[in-house]
Amino acid sequence: MDLMEFEARTLFEEGGLPILKGMTVESTDQIEGDFHFPVVVKAQVMTGGRGKAGGVRLAADETELKKVASEILGMKIKQFTVQKVLIVEKADIQQEMYLSILLDRNTKKHRIVFSPQGGVDIEQTAQSNPELIFKMDIDPLLGYNSQDGIYLADKAGLTGDLKKEFAALVGKLYGVVKANDCLLAEINPLITTQDGHLIALDAKISVDDSGIFRHSRLVEYKDAHTVEPLVREAAQYRFLYIPCDPEGNVVIMSNGSGMLMSCIDHITRHGNKVSAVLDLGGGSTADRIEHGIRILFQTPGAKILFINIFGGITRCNEVALGIRNAIENQKIEKPIVVRFEGTNKDEGLKIIEGLPCVIWADGLIQGEEAVRRQLQ
Amino acid sequence: MSILVDESTRLIVQGITGREGTFHTEQMIEYGTNVVGGVTPGKGGQMICGVPVFNTVREAMEETQANASVLFVPAAFTKSGLMEAIQADVPLVVTIAEHVPVADMLDVYHAAKYKGLRVIGPNSFGVISPGKSKVGFMAHRMFKPGYVALMSRSATNCYETVLMMTQAGIGLSTCIGVGGDMIPGSSFVELLPLLQKDEETKVIVLIGEIGGDEEEKAAAYIKANVKKPVIACIAGKNAPKGRSMGHAGAIVGADGTGSAQNKEAALRDAGVLIADTTDDIVRILKTMNL
Repeated sequence: MDLMEFEARTLFEEGGLPILKGMTVESTDQIEGDFHFPVVVKAQVMTGGRGKAGGVRLAADETELKKVASEILGMKIKQFTVQKVLIVEKADIQQEMYLSILLDRNTKKHRIVFSPQGGVDIEQTAQSNPELIFKMDIDPLLGYNSQDGIYLADKAGLTGDLKKEFAALVGKLYGVVKANDCLLAEINPLITTQDGHLIALDAKISVDDSGIFRHSRLVEYKDAHTVEPLVREAAQYRFLYIPCDPEGNVVIMSNGSGMLMSCIDHITRHGNKVSAVLDLGGGSTADRIEHGIRILFQTPGAKILFINIFGGITRCNEVALGIRNAIENQKIEKPIVVRFEGTNKDEGLKIIEGLPCVIWADGLIQGEEAVRRQLQ
Repeated sequence: MSILVDESTRLIVQGITGREGTFHTEQMIEYGTNVVGGVTPGKGGQMICGVPVFNTVREAMEETQANASVLFVPAAFTKSGLMEAIQADVPLVVTIAEHVPVADMLDVYHAAKYKGLRVIGPNSFGVISPGKSKVGFMAHRMFKPGYVALMSRSATNCYETVLMMTQAGIGLSTCIGVGGDMIPGSSFVELLPLLQKDEETKVIVLIGEIGGDEEEKAAAYIKANVKKPVIACIAGKNAPKGRSMGHAGAIVGADGTGSAQNKEAALRDAGVLIADTTDDIVRILKTMNL
C-alpha cells in the first residue's frame, strides 16, 4: 500500500527525521495558526506528477493561501480528486539530494539508493549520469553502519556536522522502514538548508500489505484509502477485487492470483478484454461466493462471468451452491461460464445441472472457448 | 530418487493441534508420509493422529530424530516458528501460510542461509514426491509418479498443469511449490542443482510469474549447468500493470528485469522451451516420449 505524503510525514516524524512544520486540511476553514510566508500548498493524492498538474503552488500571504488552497481542493489530478492539502513553509534550499531505502526482492536485503543530485529530474539523472547514483545493501545480520552514511555524505560533498547529521538520518530512515514494514521509504528531495541543516522536503512510503495488520496506524490509513466502492465492498468479504481494463466486458472469479493471471492471459490472448477479477482466496462458502458474483456483475461493462476454481481447500459443492443462490436471489440473467475441479466436484456438478445462465466448461481452455463463443 | 522428500523423510508438524494442522497431518499420514511428531507450545505430552506432541522443536528433534518440519501456523506466527526450526537445525522446513510479512521472510532467509538449512515457502502448497511422501496440503490424488520435476510459484497454476499431465499419463518425480511471495525461502535457482543431479528427473518444468528476478537467475544457472531439457511458462503476461510510487523502482529496475518478456527472453537464450500457457507445457511434454 502506498501512503499519501502527509501520512508518510507522520511516520518520518515519529522516526525522528527532520521535516518542515506543516498542516493538513480538508477545507480552507481548517487553516489556522501563524505561518511564516511564503508557504507551499501541496495536493495530497495517490499519484506522481502533482507539480506539473498544478497541485503544488506557492502562496505569499494569508489571502493567497486561502485562494490557492480552495483552488487545489477538489481539483482532479489524473483520476484522483484532491480531498486534502498539506501546507508547509517554504524552505531555503541550498542542495537537493535523493535518498531512499527499499526492500530489494532480488538481493533479499534492504538497499540504500542515494544521489547527491536529487529533485524532480532524478530518473533522468539515473539515465544520463548513472555514476551519480549510489546503491548499497544493508546486511540484515549486521545492520546499518553509520560509516556507510559518511561514505555517501562524502559523495555529496557534505562536511562537518552536516556529514554526521546525514549518517544519522540514513540510520533513522532505516529505522522507519523496519518499524513500519516498509517496502520503500523515499526522500526526494532531501535538502541542505542555507543555515546548514538537513530537511526531508517530501515523503514517500510504500508498505507491505502483509505487514499492515501489526500497525494500528497503517490499518487506519488502509481503511481511509479504499475508496473504490467495489474494492471496498469486496474487502468486507475478504475478497481481493482488482479492476483491469475499463473497456473490458469479461469478469473473472477464481481462487488464487496465479490462476487469475492465467485466466486473464487466456482470455486476452484470444482477443477479449477483462474488466475486473475477484480473488476468493482459500475456503470460500456458498454465501460468500454469492456475494462475490453479485459484486463482479456490478462492474461497469460486465457482460459475462467466468468462474474458474481449483478446489483444494475450497469445495466445489459450495461454489455450485453459491452460483445457484446468486442466480435465484440476485436475478442474474447474464451468462456465467463455470469450471471447477477438485474437492467435491461431482456434488457441485449435480447442483448446477440445468441452471439457467450457466455454461459448464470442463477445463480452463474449454472455459475460455465458451467465453469467446458467448461474446461472438 | 526424487528430491527434498521421499521414503526417508521423518516429518514433524509445527501447529499440529490446530484445525488445519490436524487435518493435514491425517492426510499426510494417509498418503504414506512418515510423520514422527508434532509441536504446539504448551500442549506437549499429548498424542494426536497417533504421534507425540512436544512443546518445542528442539525437544521434538531430540526425541524423534526428525529431518524435516512443516508449519501449519498463521502468517503472524510464521517467523517465530521458522526461526525456532532453524535454531534447532531442522534441515528442511516447509511453510504454508500466505500473507507472511516480507520483512519477516528477509530475516528468515538470511538466518537459514547462515545455518545452511533449506526453507520452502511461504505461500506454498509444499513438496510432494508422488508415491513416496508429501509435505504440505496439495490435493495428492491427482499426482502420479514419473520423470518430470515441476517447480511453481503459483499453487493453482501448478494444480492445473499437474491435472493435465496426469490426464496425459505423464507423472512427476517431485513437485515443489516455491511459493508466490516476494522472498521465497528457496527459489528456482537454489533447487535446480538438486534436479540436475536427480537420476529420476528427466525433464524440469518451471512455472514462473512476472516480478522479481527468480526466472532470470534460473536462466543464467540453466545456461551454464543444466543438461536436462527445461520447459518454462511465465504467468501474468497480460496482468494489469501495478502502479509503483516513487522513483526507486524506475532507478533500480531500469534494465526491464521482472517483465514476462525479459524472463522469456533470458530463458529462451538459455535453451529453455517456452510454453505460452499451462496447457502448452503439457503439449510440449507429450512430444518428449516420457
